[in-house]
This record gives sequence, structure tokens and C-alpha cells, in this order.
Amino acid sequence: MVAMDIISVSIIYVAAFAILLIGYLAAISSKDAVRLLISLEMMFGAIFMALIPLFSVAHLANTAFGIALVTIFASSGELLILICAITLLDLQKKDIHTSSITIGGDEL
Amino acid sequence: MNADMLLLSALAGIAVVFALGVLLSKDNFYSALYMAATLVFVATVYAFFNLQPVFVLILFVFVGAIGIVTVALAATYRSDPERQISRLWAVPVAITAFFVSLAIATYSYSALNLQPVSSSAIEFELMNFIPLTEYMLLVVFLISLVVLLLLSVLKISVGGRS
Repeated sequence: MVAMDIISVSIIYVAAFAILLIGYLAAISSKDAVRLLISLEMMFGAIFMALIPLFSVAHLANTAFGIALVTIFASSGELLILICAITLLDLQKKDIHTSSITIGGDEL
Repeated sequence: MNADMLLLSALAGIAVVFALGVLLSKDNFYSALYMAATLVFVATVYAFFNLQPVFVLILFVFVGAIGIVTVALAATYRSDPERQISRLWAVPVAITAFFVSLAIATYSYSALNLQPVSSSAIEFELMNFIPLTEYMLLVVFLISLVVLLLLSVLKISVGGRS
């Protein structure tokens, strides 16, 4: 059992930051919808990690648990929708590369 | 640096190494496996602080349900995607680094005034973390979210078939 001091918080924040950046890089460098999904899940993991220091504040512990609960279920729902969208993209385009997505977003 | 700190550093470091595996692996299937391992180690950090309910939630819901579906999907679509790395991502990196530094600095400043709490002192009472009416509202909100998600999937499916 560990009391959360500034070094623990720093380790957690730095690790969460590193995972988030790796997720960003994987998302930007991906040309594949499945790899995009994987990078999004990793970014959500980084967000969960960044939530840990909130539990160290006594009067916010239960609120932090509520936030974690809602975040986990909401992000899971979003990812399920994305999985469904990838399957339908394959159904329509016979291709899951992001270059085959022509609707939505700005043209770079 | 004591043993607990070393263990925490090791857990966080292993999570980052597995995250690097996601980036460096060219096969979607192995990337998905590395991603699942990263999430397991993120959940383990929760267990390290004795936050068992969140550990179980992340492991069951995120890794167990979504992660397995993703691994199955990645195993179906195994391909070697081309790489496209832009230097523009340095901008969000700098912004995020600034906010992380700000968060650490703010926490270290406010830690002087906060009374530290041990993990055993945290009691998870689902019914008491907010008032009962707001708790019921939250439950209704979550159910509505699930219904809306299902309706969205149905609409996308109908649109996809037509």
C-alpha cells in the first residue's frame, strides 16, 4: 500500500503522457482503420492512467470512482461503434484503409 | 527510492514499452496484443494503489470485452500498412507536455495543503458518491446512452445495407 506522493504522481503522469503520445503517433501514422482503433484504445488507457492521482484527494475519491465508471463505459460504447463502423466500411468499400474514407473531415 | 517506487516505475515503464510495441509492430494482430498488454499494466497500476474496483472494471470491460473484439478484428484484417509520419504531430506534443508539466507543478504546490489519504481509507460506496436522485439520473443517463448506441448501430447497419 503506497501513499501517493509527488514522485508517484510524476511517474504516473509521465507514463500516461508517453502512452498518449505514442497513441497519437500511431493514430497519425496509421493508414489502416484497425490500427486507428488500436491507437484510440491506447489513448483511452493513457487517460485512465492520468485519472489515478484524483483518487489521492480524500474528498474526491468517490467522485473519481464515479468519473472512472462513466469514462470506462462511455469509451467502451464509442469503441464498439467504431468497430461496427469498420465492419461496415469493409462491407461497403471492400477496403479498410483510411484512404478509402472519402466522406467527413477536411481534405488535407 | 524505495521498493514501492521501484515497482511503480517498473509497472509504468513496462506499460510504455508495450505501447512502443504497438507503434513499432507492423502486424495489426501483434499491435492489438501489445495494446491489450499495455491496458493490463495500466490496470495493474490501479491495483498497485489498492483501487481494486477500477482494476476489475478496466480488466473486464476494457480489456476483456473491447480488447478481445479488437484482437479478433485485427487477426481478421492482418496487413502491413504503409507508414505516414508527419512532423506536425510535434505541435500537440508540445501542448500536451506543457499541460502535463502544469498539472505536476500544480499538484506539487497544492500537495502542501492537502491532507494525504491512504488507499485503505477510500471506501467505494456507489450509492453515496452522489445524492440518490443524481445517482438515479446517472443510471438513467447510462441506460439512455446504451439505447442511443444501439439505435446508432442499427441506423448505420440499415444505411450500410442500403
